Amino acid sequence: MTRKPSVCQEIEPALLATAIGDADTATAARVEVHARTCAPCRQDLVRYRAIEDAVGAWRGAPAPAEELAHARLESRLAALRRRTLLYRIFPSPLGPILIARSEEGVSCVEYLTGGADFAHSRLSRDEGIEALLDGAEVEALYRDLLEYVEGRRTRLEWPLDLRLARSEFHRTVLETTARIPYGAVRSYAGVARELGKPSATRAVAQALRWNPLPIVVPCHRVIGASGALTGYAGNRVTLKQRLLAVEGVRTRPAHHDFRIERDAMYACAGTDAEYCVPTCGSLAERSLADLTLYASRARAEAAGLAPCTACRPDLHPISR
Amino acid sequence: MDAEGFDTLVATHHREIYRYLVRATFRASEADDLAQETFLRAYRAHRALPPDANARAWLFAIASNVAKNHFRAESRRRRAHTGVREIRIETDGAGPEGETLFKEARTVLDTVVAGLPLKQRLAFTLRKVHDLDYDAIGRSLDCSPDSARAHVFQALRKIRRSLNGYELPVGRDER
Repeated sequence: MTRKPSVCQEIEPALLATAIGDADTATAARVEVHARTCAPCRQDLVRYRAIEDAVGAWRGAPAPAEELAHARLESRLAALRRRTLLYRIFPSPLGPILIARSEEGVSCVEYLTGGADFAHSRLSRDEGIEALLDGAEVEALYRDLLEYVEGRRTRLEWPLDLRLARSEFHRTVLETTARIPYGAVRSYAGVARELGKPSATRAVAQALRWNPLPIVVPCHRVIGASGALTGYAGNRVTLKQRLLAVEGVRTRPAHHDFRIERDAMYACAGTDAEYCVPTCGSLAERSLADLTLYASRARAEAAGLAPCTACRPDLHPISR
Repeated sequence: MDAEGFDTLVATHHREIYRYLVRATFRASEADDLAQETFLRAYRAHRALPPDANARAWLFAIASNVAKNHFRAESRRRRAHTGVREIRIETDGAGPEGETLFKEARTVLDTVVAGLPLKQRLAFTLRKVHDLDYDAIGRSLDCSPDSARAHVFQALRKIRRSLNGYELPVGRDER
């Protein structure tokens, strides 16, 4: 193989750059001058330009099965989006809290007990979920939640996504619980009754044990038939007491638990549109399953109830 | 970048990413998988992409990584299965990915480009087919813009040498 003259070797990169349009005008001019007198370099230039032209034909040319590939991608992406949750872990007065949302709505609020990292979340063990750490989308939710648990906000107007519900029944329990007003309590039996399954009290309690959205779906407002708080987030009944206290519901300690003060709460029986003092008629004898109890008149009225025309809680409020 | 921005990204760039990967792998089915992988990765990461980022270059960078990983895994797998034979093919310079190449009739240029080492092939395709600048190519291939340019030039030199004796279908008059 014959070696090129050194001048040709030296100009070769410039020649290449010129051929493919990468060179500035001065370089291109220098190359043109050289190529005029050097036949091998002239030939190289022609070949590079031919390559350039041939490759140019590839630009914008569709590849085989392109539309099919596109359709497949769209469907895989849709599936990924459906199972994606964006989450972040925040500090809170109740300990580290994970908040996660899908494109449809908030799907998980979780007290992390083992430690403030994702490995301690139930989401890390859920195969059907792709959890992505993301601050921005969840940050605003966290601010709302913080205001809520500090009592500076009484509503969380979040779109909810109950995908983590384990069954249709579970979902219905969560939906029913979500309707219990701020500052009110009901019993597990009362929720079961509202569901049309009065014998499902234990199943309701079990379903709320697995509430994927504590605080938001206020399972802390659901208590035992005796008025005892009975349980929350594993064995953290003090959290339940704290959340209720923020809403104005008073409790007193009782046997490793807390009990609501029923005689200090306004009551609404069944689906009545009125609220009463606890001594109105036979209310005091009725089972908690029949009643929704309110921490104050303001809470009852905020829930759309009117004062009872018999006991007139507006004129004769509970005095303590 | 938000969800809407990502939809636009898919609609605008999936086809060219797929074409790029077809050129990188020579097989539509593999390119299909790798393009999906590229966009699934992009979906997982798109929220962190600044609004002023060059999303197209970013996608090509992901696709290039996906392609490189694919070939790395493939050559590992083949080495495990075929041992000595594989090494011989690799020292031929064509790389294992070149094997399927001759199963189909291709133009001379296709064949030559397909025989280039992976980095040169990717750099060449990014520059000459997809018109990325050397900065973006460097980011795609984890190298400096200068080495990106060197890969492209090296690819062109090899193509030119390989084409000696062939007439390309299109050519320009000598000036």
